[in-house]
Amino acid sequence: MSEATMTLTLRVWRQAGPDAPGRLVDYCARGVSPHMSLLELLDVVNEDLTAKGEEPIAFDSDCREGICGSCGLVVDGVPHGPQAATTTCQVFLRHYRDGNVITIEPWRARAFPIIKDLVVDRSALDRIIAAGGYVSVDTGSAPEANAIPVPKDEAERAMDSAACIGCGACVAACKNASAVLFVGAKIEHLTRLPQGLPERERRVLAMVTQMDAEGFGSCSNEGECEAVCPKEISVTNIQRLNREYARARLKPRR
Amino acid sequence: MILDGKVPAGPLDAKWARHKDHLKLVNPVNRRKHTVIVVGTGLAGASAAASLGELGYNVLAFTILDSPRRAHSIAAQGGINAAKNYKNDGDSVFRLFYDTIKGGDFRAREANVHRLAEVSVKIIDHCVAQGVPFAREYGGFLDNRSFGGAQLSRTFYARGQTGQQLLIGAYGALMRQVHAGTVKIFPRHEMLDLVVVDGRARGIVTRNLVTGELERWAGDAVLLATGGYGNLYFLSTNAGNSNVTAAWRCAKRGAYFANPCFVQIHPTCIPASGEHQSKLTLMSESLRNDGRVWVPQRAGDRRAPSDIPESERFYFLEERYPSFGNLVPRDVAARNCKSVCEAGQGVGPTGYAVYLDFADAIRRFGASVIRERYGNLFQMYERIVGDDPYAVPMRIYPAVHYTMGGLWVDYDLMSNLPGLFVLGEANFSDHGANRLGASALMQGLADGYFIIPYTLASYIAGTTLSKVTADHDAFMEAAQAAQARIDRVLRVRGDVSVTAHHRRLGQVMWEKCSIARNARGIEEARAAVRAQRQEFWHNVRVPGEPTNFNKSLEQALRVADYLEFGELVAIDALARDESCGSHFREEHATPDGEAQRDDEHFAHVAAWEWRGTEEAPTLHTEPLHFESVTLTQRSYR
Amino acid sequence: MSSLVRSFSSSLGRKLLMGASGLLLLAFLVVHVAGNLVLFAGRDAFNGYSYHLVSNPLIYVAELALLVLFTAHLVAGIVVTARNRAARRHRYAVKHWARGKSSKSHKSVASSTMIVSGVFMIAFVPLHLWTFKWGPNYPSSADPAVRDLYRLVIEEFRRPLEVAWYVGAMLVIGFHLWHGFASGCESLGVDDRDWLRRTGQVLAVAITGGFVIVPIAIWLGWVPA
Repeated sequence: MSEATMTLTLRVWRQAGPDAPGRLVDYCARGVSPHMSLLELLDVVNEDLTAKGEEPIAFDSDCREGICGSCGLVVDGVPHGPQAATTTCQVFLRHYRDGNVITIEPWRARAFPIIKDLVVDRSALDRIIAAGGYVSVDTGSAPEANAIPVPKDEAERAMDSAACIGCGACVAACKNASAVLFVGAKIEHLTRLPQGLPERERRVLAMVTQMDAEGFGSCSNEGECEAVCPKEISVTNIQRLNREYARARLKPRR
Repeated sequence: MILDGKVPAGPLDAKWARHKDHLKLVNPVNRRKHTVIVVGTGLAGASAAASLGELGYNVLAFTILDSPRRAHSIAAQGGINAAKNYKNDGDSVFRLFYDTIKGGDFRAREANVHRLAEVSVKIIDHCVAQGVPFAREYGGFLDNRSFGGAQLSRTFYARGQTGQQLLIGAYGALMRQVHAGTVKIFPRHEMLDLVVVDGRARGIVTRNLVTGELERWAGDAVLLATGGYGNLYFLSTNAGNSNVTAAWRCAKRGAYFANPCFVQIHPTCIPASGEHQSKLTLMSESLRNDGRVWVPQRAGDRRAPSDIPESERFYFLEERYPSFGNLVPRDVAARNCKSVCEAGQGVGPTGYAVYLDFADAIRRFGASVIRERYGNLFQMYERIVGDDPYAVPMRIYPAVHYTMGGLWVDYDLMSNLPGLFVLGEANFSDHGANRLGASALMQGLADGYFIIPYTLASYIAGTTLSKVTADHDAFMEAAQAAQARIDRVLRVRGDVSVTAHHRRLGQVMWEKCSIARNARGIEEARAAVRAQRQEFWHNVRVPGEPTNFNKSLEQALRVADYLEFGELVAIDALARDESCGSHFREEHATPDGEAQRDDEHFAHVAAWEWRGTEEAPTLHTEPLHFESVTLTQRSYR
Repeated sequence: MSSLVRSFSSSLGRKLLMGASGLLLLAFLVVHVAGNLVLFAGRDAFNGYSYHLVSNPLIYVAELALLVLFTAHLVAGIVVTARNRAARRHRYAVKHWARGKSSKSHKSVASSTMIVSGVFMIAFVPLHLWTFKWGPNYPSSADPAVRDLYRLVIEEFRRPLEVAWYVGAMLVIGFHLWHGFASGCESLGVDDRDWLRRTGQVLAVAITGGFVIVPIAIWLGWVPA
């Protein structure tokens, strides 16, 4: 295997803290292996910075296999980089050419304040789930698992929506920093299943209220969210959310 | 000292039920007066925190990640076992128990494993009620598949994302309690010490990873659910933040660490591509159903795989194990991959890889069938490696995957330190010397949903707990110690980065104390770790400030702990002078080359008491009694 | 009703309002363009149609409804846009559309400029009303009670500047509808599908075409004075 190496320039957003001013800083990485992932390149740059006595670039990452949702960088203006259905940790350098400049920024949204450099606070998404993104079942009260049959297709569709990893790329991509794909996926996951129906109205109203309180924007139906979603969650989840919301609002309550 | 696992009396299948009937209870109105600290929010931690919150306890839950939903349980692909016998193929609680204890090479506590099999069925019920979208049949009922080490289908799954879906279920339950006000969550908080007051675990010291602040938290009990220590090896399939620090801090406060040498190596991972490698990715074991494992016969053969004729290929698993072939268990496959690579027959840029070749399967079934079976895995491989596995054989190599060892716990999941409970991968209890596939998720949830709510209540109800606040001297001492350690590591200002230290430590442990070990190598590893530990404290560079988000500092504190803990792994590996499961001592092989157990001397749990960083730890053993199973020797020839 | 009002104070509710009002305005445009095309049936037909329309007392209800819809759509649009802008305080230094990454994005120049094309209507609609609704009231020769709107239209669209302004405005409306129809449907909960997008695009072209064909035909002298 030939081991040609590359020289790449990383243009990285550096910001010391939540209220500090930020700016893009260039870092030149020489002798880069095309087999590296983008995050490994950041690791290498950080080793260099450490050796030089400078502060390494802060970024979030954990599983590095595309499932935990920790990593999330806007790479050359697109969340999670150029490949479809991919998290940032699965972006490999073989798709770049010697001499390329790669711009890296954090997710930007009022609801995701920057902690440092490329690290943002996404706890707004947790608070939306806390408002109602679950089935209220106490441990111990469940019936026998096969007591409630669920049509295979419905279970598969629920799974399509449940595949969301909560990375926040949808928010990052949306020009309005809207979180409706995230919320819609959870609503759709639980509304598809009989287990989720008893709390159907309460759930959607509570989650939307929390979503608004967090300062996310509205949906403009452009589909940028689906295009960048590493799990390819469909925008139909948003339309289902709209329907569920309207239904819950119009349903007469006692 | 001989340790007592406090296994209840009575027949195996009645122990848990009877035990539960006699456990003490906490009155519902009193529960909110009891604060329970839960560290870690993976399957075990989240399920425990949620269940305890539902019961009304005042729960404080801590995670090092930015959200509980990201814990590494999320990466488990395959599934979760349960003795439902939905397939009518003869499954039962006893069979699940037997497979698990045999798979563990008879180094687990019988009563714990049986209880695990018993509650497995309730886990599925509960998760389905939570809305976990398990795979289903057309009739709408739950589907099962078969998994390694079992002759029946008892594995429930949600595509290749079972761990993720179960964790989202537990996370939802946890967030529901956050909303209800019974649980408070503290994301981006790392536990740096355990606080022991009057011999009981009464709290923890954490570092706020955003502000760097050290914080003290007092409670009536501490539940540790912080996962395994696979990252001791630097490269593993574990997530980057998974670490041993919380568990090791408990060990240094007096909790015994059991069987640390039991480390599971998964044979089919994507090999490292170079020095920069930061983690390894697992490729599902199922690939060995159709892939053939081979290397060139001639050492150092650098030809492209397609240029190597059939006659010059060495299908080592098929030749050495004619009856099981490529489907030998994980540990056997891993050992053989290692041995051919060490003989110079390895392939790929580093020489540490073997081919997993689908050419025959594609010829036999057609590419479309193979795509249907493994399409997503092939895609994942191609994304990472850049080769098309339909055309070029995959390259695979074993990697550290799971750690069976952990803090010693009794039947109630309480460590020898009263008030410290340990759940999930962080404890040692259920998998013996080797874990079967689809059992880790089962154990984490069993511990959190269905065991700890009972046993913790009994501890709280049966103990007179003095009032302790976070201003108690013991808390101040622990916080000062943590601060001193942070200051010390920042003061070193050496030349070597934390990552470089970690990588070096991992390499030593991997070479001398992983897939196969021998006394000499282990001794060398131990000496190397000791030497590196000295060096670390004189030559490590940790940039940045302690008072804000500082990844290097986080890692430095963890690596410092690995440099102590690694020695314990070596000590345990050396002391266990037998082979069993994942612990393969080259001195103890059957004539067939299989792990040769020594039941007479080593049918016990080795639990180590920390005596000081430079002191030898004290060994305590818990003899393992087998009443319901006969100990047998594995063979796969 | 209070529930309905409350729902409009939420982000999803505002989008429901925008979708519903937008689609109703679209329905009005369909009726409007159909009426315009009556012009090709001749002076009497067109003036007769116009007379029937304005002499129906329900016209006041319809006009009020239109005013409410237009205002609601406009105000909601401005509020939504302002809130959307506020949802991202700091802009990206580099930001690209995700179309290069996946075909799932429908983002277009039209979808990115809805607020511009929408707010433009504040300029167009009053002028348009001023020109035609409140313009010279020529009595028709056949029946002085009937307004000769036909004459006014022909006079106006013999002026190239008027044609250019009107055609330009109609293109802006078409632009708005290009994204607006599907987007409005989706805000009301209709699943995003290719046919929905295509229907919206066909509607946009048809409506715009219907509107612009009249002034162009007049300007080119195809319509007798």
